[in-house]
Amino acid sequence: MNKSFYKTIKPTAVFLSWFFVVSIIAFGSSSFSQEEEGQVKIDGKSLFKSKCSSCHQPHKDGTGPKLFGAKNKWEENAMEGSIYLWVNNWQAAAAKDPYAQSVSELKPSAMNPFPELSKAQIDAILDWVDEQPVPTKSNDSLANAGPGGEEEEESGNSLIWILLGVSFIVIILSVGGVRRQLSISLKEKEGTGDGKDKLTYTQELKALAWKYRLQTGLISLVVVLSIIVYLFQTLYGIGVVEGYQPSQPIAFPHSVHAGKNGIDCKYCHNSVMKSKTAGIPTVNVCMNCHKQIQGEDEAKKEISKIYNAAGFDPTSLYSPGKGQPIVWNKVHSLPDHVYFNHSQHVVVGGIDCKQCHGDMTKMTETAKVWPVKELNEIEGNIKLTKPTLTMGWCIECHDKKEVSKGSLDTKKDGYYDEIHRRLLNNDKELYKKYLKDNKVSVKELGGWECGKCHY
Amino acid sequence: MNKRTIYINNLLVRNTGITLFFITFLLVGCVENKDSSGLEYMPDMYRSPAVEPYVDYAEIRNKQNPELAKKLSAKTPPIGTIPYYGTDKELVELMLPYKRKPGIEFQQTHGLVDYVFSNKNEYELAANDKINPIHIDSTNSKEIFEEGKKIYSYMCAHCHGEKGDGNGPMVKSGAYTGVPAYADRKDLSNGQIFYSIYYGKGAMGAHGPLINKKEIWTLVHYIRKFQDPEYGKKDTSKVEQSNSTDVEIIKDTITVNNSM
Ligand code: HEC
Ligand code: HEC
Ligand code: HEC
Ligand code: HEC
Ligand code: HEC
Ligand code: HEC
Ligand code: HEC
Repeated sequence: MNKSFYKTIKPTAVFLSWFFVVSIIAFGSSSFSQEEEGQVKIDGKSLFKSKCSSCHQPHKDGTGPKLFGAKNKWEENAMEGSIYLWVNNWQAAAAKDPYAQSVSELKPSAMNPFPELSKAQIDAILDWVDEQPVPTKSNDSLANAGPGGEEEEESGNSLIWILLGVSFIVIILSVGGVRRQLSISLKEKEGTGDGKDKLTYTQELKALAWKYRLQTGLISLVVVLSIIVYLFQTLYGIGVVEGYQPSQPIAFPHSVHAGKNGIDCKYCHNSVMKSKTAGIPTVNVCMNCHKQIQGEDEAKKEISKIYNAAGFDPTSLYSPGKGQPIVWNKVHSLPDHVYFNHSQHVVVGGIDCKQCHGDMTKMTETAKVWPVKELNEIEGNIKLTKPTLTMGWCIECHDKKEVSKGSLDTKKDGYYDEIHRRLLNNDKELYKKYLKDNKVSVKELGGWECGKCHY
Repeated sequence: MNKRTIYINNLLVRNTGITLFFITFLLVGCVENKDSSGLEYMPDMYRSPAVEPYVDYAEIRNKQNPELAKKLSAKTPPIGTIPYYGTDKELVELMLPYKRKPGIEFQQTHGLVDYVFSNKNEYELAANDKINPIHIDSTNSKEIFEEGKKIYSYMCAHCHGEKGDGNGPMVKSGAYTGVPAYADRKDLSNGQIFYSIYYGKGAMGAHGPLINKKEIWTLVHYIRKFQDPEYGKKDTSKVEQSNSTDVEIIKDTITVNNSM
């Protein structure tokens, strides 16, 4: 199903890349001319980028208000030259000019003074800002339609199957009924059939079954066997959670965060190095970035849920109060009788997240438990056979994964090197046995002892 | 039509019951519900009333119990509670609560709630905190920078860039703007850098809740390295002595702020 999804997305992707190229050429050329002029004129763009862009953007409110059209507004409303004074030293301007005073109350945070900027430089900055084209809907919003479209296709598919199945059954039944009626009425017409000859449905079936007893026997055998196999399969499936992907309150795509924008897993799951649990980020972590990133269209709808949770008003950029917490659904869950520790595996064991959680940087939907087959396809992963998150899975890896390779000669004074040394000093025979395959596995250090994983 | 097809036809038509059975089987097999974690025995071992992270203690088997919520749910510790960091004097002193409070406006601009606020401009006061409590010199600078690089690469690099030039992947992708290069802010004091990381500044959010004070002070060293490639190679006592004239300017700002 995934493949067909990519097929349908292809034309859009081609269109998007075309759009990208065209827009890059368009924007690129405009910035080129800017730089050429900059030789003669003052380069407003780089001044803006270095001095103002940490608070201002041309078209979006940030820490400071958007600057597009600010010059015109000041020319209309404020005293002459007051805007230059504002940039040089806003407190002085606010003291002199009532308009500047009103502007200074716009935002909770204050602007920095820039006494070093000349009038011409300020003009260059503001002129550059006014030249910036109003952004159209970005092409990201188109790309965002991806996951949603996929979901629709899928639910549509299963509906079609159900409809097909139902109509199939109806057709079979009606054909059978018609046939039966036909044969009965045929017999009646021929006068051969009297009352006794009119067999009921079941009687007819029984007669048939007897007639074709070999076939019926075979079919029943197959049916009984498949039911037994099915039963066993369900039994083996109990407690196996592969593919579990509960719906989440916010359609949070890991691909956008950890993939496209290169945010490290540990920024959000920030207790993973220090504790047993990896942690789901709190709302203030989301807000560190989403204070500024407000999104468009679909993304905007999802991101506004963060604002509800944080009690944040995206227009004034105020957080007037507390909001409603986001209640994420837990995806990976081990039963209470198991002890699993992240820092032991990630820090001490040095295992990458993708070994157990798959390639989250490509996950366009919310998180799921990756089936072990998909985990095996990822490069660099140890190949395992037992379903993810079952005891067999843990055990298998503990058998295969080494904690350190090589013999004692190569050892220094790390934690595992010390373990090697103690093993050697206590029991040389055992140590040689362990090192037969040139590695000490987790199992050989006790990773198969019930008490290590079970309370 | 030869005999064989007629036979199959008959089979299909006559044995409607069996056909039906098979079709329902197939259908059930096809419909997959991602929202269901499948069959579980001992479901209360997976979704248990025991105290575990991320468990809504008040909910047991789909029923809400407000009494339990009051007793067991994760609560913020009382104000003034500090974690235990062992007996190493230096570490404990490093980890003591930060003496600077967030300005009152941080409540609204950075969403900081449940803090004790100050109505002074503490960011400017922090310019006085010139000394980084983690001592650095040419002997231990390599370790500190290595540690700093590790923390920096997962905490800050996506905005500030691996090289500290304000060009992280998030800025490059066009999603985020306004990240300064550290080299443009050479006149910040150690205390101000700490303050900005701890409580946030402008567009940057508070990172105090994500990393501890030792890690932040290590980062302060690491940021200094971006600003001055020679940093850490020499004795730092010189840096601490300079800028002593700043103090008077800051005194002025205090009085201005107090009178407001
Ligand atoms: C530290 C953040 C910050 C920086 C850096 C900054 N500004 Fe501002 N600016 C603000 C804030 C905040 C306001 C809104 C006024 C207020 O609430 O004090 C503002 C307002 C303005 C206004 C008035 C806008 C209006 O809608 O009338 C202009 C013009 C302006 N800034 C220009 C600049 C220029 C030019 C630069 C770069 C040289 C710059 N600012 C750098 C924070 C900043
Ligand atoms: C921007 C913050 C962010 C980043 C970066 C991030 N995650 Fe997540 N992660 C979340 C959030 C929010 C959830 C909860 C939503 C969900 O389950 O989809 C989550 C859920 C998960 C889950 C499922 C948790 C459960 O309930 O069992 C796993 C596993 C996971 N992330 C792994 C990773 C890995 C691996 C990376 C790095 C490649 C990563 N995350 C990067 C925010 C993030
Ligand atoms: C380190 C920065 C960062 C953090 C932390 C962060 N995000 Fe994002 N988020 C982004 C960026 C960058 C985008 C992409 C915006 C764009 O493409 O214009 C984004 C986009 C999104 C989107 C829209 C995705 C789409 O469909 O395009 C959602 C929803 C979202 N984030 C939710 C969250 C949630 C929930 C959290 C907290 C767990 C969070 N984010 C934390 C940086 C961040
Ligand atoms: C050895 C396999 C393994 C590795 C490596 C691993 N995890 Fe996990 N992860 C698990 C298991 C098992 C659980 C379920 C834990 C539970 O329910 O107690 C889990 C749960 C989680 C959760 C859900 C919340 C929680 O804390 O229970 C998140 C988020 C997560 N992992 C993120 C990560 C990130 C990020 C990394 C990489 C830095 C990582 N994991 C590395 C096996 C692993
Ligand atoms: C990808 C391989 C891998 C998987 C899967 C894995 N582990 Fe491990 N585990 C390791 C490695 C490597 C170590 C070595 C770290 C050490 O010895 O401290 C380890 C160590 C441990 C230890 C400490 C053993 C000791 O000697 O102290 C426990 C407990 C543990 N794992 C539990 C689990 C549980 C429970 C699961 C399944 C949910 C699991 N592990 C899945 C690789 C894995
Ligand atoms: C590497 C860690 C690990 C070790 C060692 C381990 N177990 Fe388990 N065990 C697990 C995990 C994880 C589960 C939960 C599996 C699940 O949720 O499907 C489990 C589940 C079980 C169950 C419940 C049945 C099931 O499969 O869910 C029993 C019984 C059990 N273990 C017994 C033992 C015994 C006896 C030993 C010692 C010989 C042992 N375990 C050693 C990790 C371990
Ligand atoms: C979400 C993006 C983001 C992240 C993550 C981030 N920063 Fe920043 N940082 C910014 C922005 C934006 C500014 C400019 C703030 C301003 O002056 O308005 C900034 C400013 C700074 C400053 C200058 C503060 C001052 O007082 O002028 C320092 C120092 C700094 N960041 C350090 C860090 C460190 C260390 C980390 C990692 C713990 C970090 N930042 C993480 C976006 C970020």
